[in-house]
Amino acid sequence: MLERVSGALALVGGRTITALQGMGQAWALLMASAASLRNADVWLPHLLPQMARIGVASVPIALFIATFTGIVMSLQASYTLTGTIPVYFVGTLVGKTMILELGPVLTALTLAGRVGANISAELGTMRVTEQVDALETLAYDPLAYLVVPRVLAAILMFPIVVLLAIALGIGSGWITALQLLDMSSPEFVKGLRLFFLPWDVWFAVIKSVSFGAVVTGVGCYFGLRTERGAEGVGRSATRTVVVASMLILCLDAFWAATLL
Amino acid sequence: MERRREALVGLVVLLGIAVGVVGTIWLQGGLRRDMVELRAATANVGQLVAGAAVRFRGVSVGRVDAVAVTPGGEAVMVHMSVRPELVLPADAAVLLAPESVFGDWQAEILSLTELDLPYFVDYPEDGVLPGAALPDFSRLTATADEIARNLTVISERFQIAFTEQTALQLRSAIENIGEVSDGLSEIIAQQAARFEDLSEGVNASAAELGAAARVARTSFERIDSIIGSAGAGEMLGDAGAVLSNLRSLTDELNSSLGDMRAAAQQADTTFARFDVLLAAAETGDGSVGKLLGDPTLAEGAIEAVQELRALLADIQENPRRYLSFSIF
Amino acid sequence: MSIQLVDVEKAFGPKEVLRGFTMRVEDGETAAIVGPSGSGKSVLLKHVVGLLRPDAGSVVVDGTSVPELNRHGLAQLRQRIGYVFQFAALFDSMTIAENVGMGLRRMPGWDRLRIAKRVEECLALVELAGMGDRYPAQLSGGQRKRAGLARAIAPSPKYLLYDEPTTGLDPVTTSVIDRLILRMRDELGVTGLVVTHDMTSAFRVADRITLLHGGRARFTGTPSEVRAASDPVLRGFVEGDPDLYYGVGWQNEGINVGGHDHGA
Repeated sequence: MLERVSGALALVGGRTITALQGMGQAWALLMASAASLRNADVWLPHLLPQMARIGVASVPIALFIATFTGIVMSLQASYTLTGTIPVYFVGTLVGKTMILELGPVLTALTLAGRVGANISAELGTMRVTEQVDALETLAYDPLAYLVVPRVLAAILMFPIVVLLAIALGIGSGWITALQLLDMSSPEFVKGLRLFFLPWDVWFAVIKSVSFGAVVTGVGCYFGLRTERGAEGVGRSATRTVVVASMLILCLDAFWAATLL
Repeated sequence: MERRREALVGLVVLLGIAVGVVGTIWLQGGLRRDMVELRAATANVGQLVAGAAVRFRGVSVGRVDAVAVTPGGEAVMVHMSVRPELVLPADAAVLLAPESVFGDWQAEILSLTELDLPYFVDYPEDGVLPGAALPDFSRLTATADEIARNLTVISERFQIAFTEQTALQLRSAIENIGEVSDGLSEIIAQQAARFEDLSEGVNASAAELGAAARVARTSFERIDSIIGSAGAGEMLGDAGAVLSNLRSLTDELNSSLGDMRAAAQQADTTFARFDVLLAAAETGDGSVGKLLGDPTLAEGAIEAVQELRALLADIQENPRRYLSFSIF
Repeated sequence: MSIQLVDVEKAFGPKEVLRGFTMRVEDGETAAIVGPSGSGKSVLLKHVVGLLRPDAGSVVVDGTSVPELNRHGLAQLRQRIGYVFQFAALFDSMTIAENVGMGLRRMPGWDRLRIAKRVEECLALVELAGMGDRYPAQLSGGQRKRAGLARAIAPSPKYLLYDEPTTGLDPVTTSVIDRLILRMRDELGVTGLVVTHDMTSAFRVADRITLLHGGRARFTGTPSEVRAASDPVLRGFVEGDPDLYYGVGWQNEGINVGGHDHGA
């Protein structure tokens, strides 16, 4: 009996310590990466290729998702808003939700899979095949070479991708409203403008910057910690997607509570 | 290869920034062209907030920039920017009213000759237009509901209180009150039709108002018949005071819709005093002769009814002033 | 100057890998550390370049104490050390030429042309001339190892560390690599430290051989001394006789023979 209790306690304690260690290591990685910003000669040449890989290459999938989100939002809004609520509120609903929530969050969640898992698998493979060690022995700072350009590229490109996604989402919602809901453009635009604040766009930008940092940061963290070959690489990729998605939603709530 | 990738990144970045900037400006309602500042002073602004539309003859001509209480605290200053080509009427005023029931208000520029509400605020400063805010729709229906209930109470009291002699003098006045209540119920029926699309609550309260008016009508008719047949009364004290209160009630109804609530309260006190009066009459303290001999009673009643009629006529003529809401 | 390891201890969690390992590699010589897989040879090598820090003991390379170096100092030191990884650890996303040029790009005074020239030289040295624009995936295992060697020697290091340079190669390719290691020593005057479990190769390339056993240096001597030694553990390893190496009856004691090389 006593043994069972102490066993359970040890389990909880062990898990807690592991979690805290993980957080500590993540913090250490963050600090070390920030320090590695000095080595601009190492990361700068890789910034543009990473912007292309993380940002430009993510545009199609982000736009694809945004298009369908806009259509669904528009249809569901018209389904919800019946009777006394005027139809132009479809525009308000599509605009507000795309800008504030669905644009940044859905894009980030998708990119957690596309970009985060990719980075994690790439760095994980480099770790288990000693390419990260090789970088060090060649006198390169692996953080400056691998982590900094990826995180910076994501910080720069996520807002861009999100803005494009928002625009296309609203556009597809608009077309849906015109074609399927028999609304007129002035009606939709009226609703769109009704409660619009420029701050909303800043909010989306701030959110997507943080999401970009989280997705790539988590990918790098689990990638560089990968152990034990191919299986480890797979596990790192999975963990990256899970942890990054959770962090995105937590951050989302955090920003909503602090910035709105 | 390298060059192409650079170009692609550049293109996407510029496209994203352009979409963000242009989209924001467009959603804000376009770039502010050279707008002209316009100010108006009001007693209060209802639910008006910065960003609300400014309309002139129904056309959107600008936006509300800011809403602030004046330094002295005596009024609220509404700052608007409107298109420079807009030519304002000489006696321009600004009426703040709900644009829809969802809390989005608008500022409407109109001419005082079109609509002269007594509660427009004149602010002693050059270039500041007089302004007024319409009562909120819910407040209006609540007040109307209260009036309807009070009308019922009045008619009940009349039924009990007045006897032959007094009533004879009141007879014509009561007939007129009957007309007034008919007219009221008719207007209310019209308004109810206009607001068909509105929520149940509004409909119900409008119907209630109509029903109350009809009750008042029957009550008055009953009084009428009592007066025609029954013998002389033997009661009542200072009915003159009651009537003067009734008059001030109609005065206030007439003077400002914004003060309707106060008027209703006044009516309440009137009825409270009526109660005291009735109690006194029942215990035999009152002097019937005093009442019958008092000519101000009848005169006052007739006057009150005339004012009520004028109000009714005004409501019929300018329903917009009282119940004007373009719901959508 | 030289490589000096004194009483180096290193544990990963409960697993003690090194328990006071001491050895010295003199200037210009090539030493070999031998031992079975999982005995901690790679771990040892990583201490020399500062990829790992010892729990206790000292690691002195070229007169500087490696564990005390900061990031910048390590970078300086690493430009003097070439590291040949067990599986070459070539960067997949780069061509062979780019891989070989990696270490040069960070050195002052090396422009594109000079780097290209040096890369060609190094590739020729490991007999991979003309393969510069291929990607690692397009090379065979032996070619990859040679490319890894070319990358390590490109910055003209004073020290070369070889992690299992011949493991998994056919006998012919093994002797090609061995000859390369010898050429490094003889033609370039490089101090070498080879970690291997391939005794044939160790006998061929090493001036001195150290047996790593139980986290310590069990035996150190020239190849002829090793051949003549009577130490049962050494003889067991050289002859591939587990009864000698672990002692008779080792099967019943459940000793882990295989295991995997830590950090590999």
